[in-house]
Amino acid sequence: MTLPADLLDKIASAAVREGLADAVYTRLDTPIGRLLVVQGPRGVARIGFEGESVDALLAQVAAGLGPRIIASDRELAATRDVLSAYFEGADERLDVPVDLALVRSPFRRAALALLHDEVGPGDVVTYGALAARIGHPRAARAVGSACATNPIPLVVPCHRVVPGSGGVGSYGGGPDIKRRLLALEGAAPRSRTRRSRSSG
Amino acid sequence: MSAVALPPFWSLVETHGAELLVHARRIAGDDHGEDVLQDALLRALRAYPRLRHADHLRAWLYRVTTTTALDHHRSRRREVLSAEPPGTAVEPEHYDDAFETLIEELPDGARAALRLRFVDDLDYDGIARRLGCSAVAARQRVSTAIRTLRTQGIAA
Repeated sequence: MTLPADLLDKIASAAVREGLADAVYTRLDTPIGRLLVVQGPRGVARIGFEGESVDALLAQVAAGLGPRIIASDRELAATRDVLSAYFEGADERLDVPVDLALVRSPFRRAALALLHDEVGPGDVVTYGALAARIGHPRAARAVGSACATNPIPLVVPCHRVVPGSGGVGSYGGGPDIKRRLLALEGAAPRSRTRRSRSSG
Repeated sequence: MSAVALPPFWSLVETHGAELLVHARRIAGDDHGEDVLQDALLRALRAYPRLRHADHLRAWLYRVTTTTALDHHRSRRREVLSAEPPGTAVEPEHYDDAFETLIEELPDGARAALRLRFVDDLDYDGIARRLGCSAVAARQRVSTAIRTLRTQGIAA
C-alpha cells in the first residue's frame, strides 16, 4: 500500500519548492526501455537503463549528492520533455543542464565534460581521438573507462565514442542500444571493419 | 552530504507513507491527516541529513508525525478558541466526544497516549512504535495519564 499519487506529488513539489531535495528522480518509458533519470541542484546527474538496480543507483546518488532524494514526474517535466523529444527524433540535442558531481576522478570528469560539450548528434569519435583532445593521446583506455562509468549516458553521449578498431564497442545499455542511438542520430555506420567488441 | 549511509528519503516515504497517513489521521482527524503528513515529511526532510545513524527510521518518522499532529492540533485549538466563544472548541469529529472531553485538560502527549490505548485499542508495543519510545515508556505514559485523570477526580 502506498500513498495516493496526488498526495505524493504535492509533498514532492513542496519539498523541492522549500529547497529540501538533494536530488529528484523520475522514471521515463522510452523505445530503449524504462529509464531512471536523477537530477541534482545543478542538472541531470544520473541516468540509469532498465535492468540496472534502482535501489543501488539511488544509493549511489545518495552517497554523492545527499540522502534527501525525492520522486517527482512533475518537477522533472522539462527534462522528461527533452528526453522524449530526443527519442521522437524531434530534437537530437538533449539540451539539459548536466551535473558531473558523481564523477570523482578529475581525469574522467574532464573527458566526459569535453565529450558532452563537443561531440554533438551525428558525430562519432574514437576513444583515442577523445583522449588526444583532452591532451592525453595515449590514454584511450582511460577514456574508455570514463565512458564505461559515465553516470549520465545519453546526455553525456558516450554512445558516440567508438573503438578505433571498428564496430560500436561496448555500452552500458548494451551494444544494440548504442547502434540504435547512433542510427537515430543519423551517424554514419562504421562498416569498414569487422564488428569488434574490443575496448569500452 | 551525511556521514552515515541513510537510505534515499523517498524509499522511506514509499515504504511507510501509507501507515503514517493512517497515524496522522488518528491523531489529527480525517480532514487534517494529509496536511499533517505533508508537514511531518517536510520536517523529517529538514532533519534527515543530520541524523547520526540509520536505525529505527520508521519509529523516528512516527515520532515526527506524532509531534506534527499534536502541533497542528494545538494551533487549531488556539485558532478556534480565539475565534469562538469559550466552550465550543471542536475536536476531530471521529472521536468519541465524551472521551475527548474527559482527556481535554491533559497535556498533548498524554492525550495522544490515551487515544492510542483506548481509541485505537493498541497494545503497549503498538503504542511504543507509534510514539517512537519503548514499550515500558509507553506503559508509563498511559498509566501516568490515567493517574492524572484520577487525581483530577475525573476517572474512576
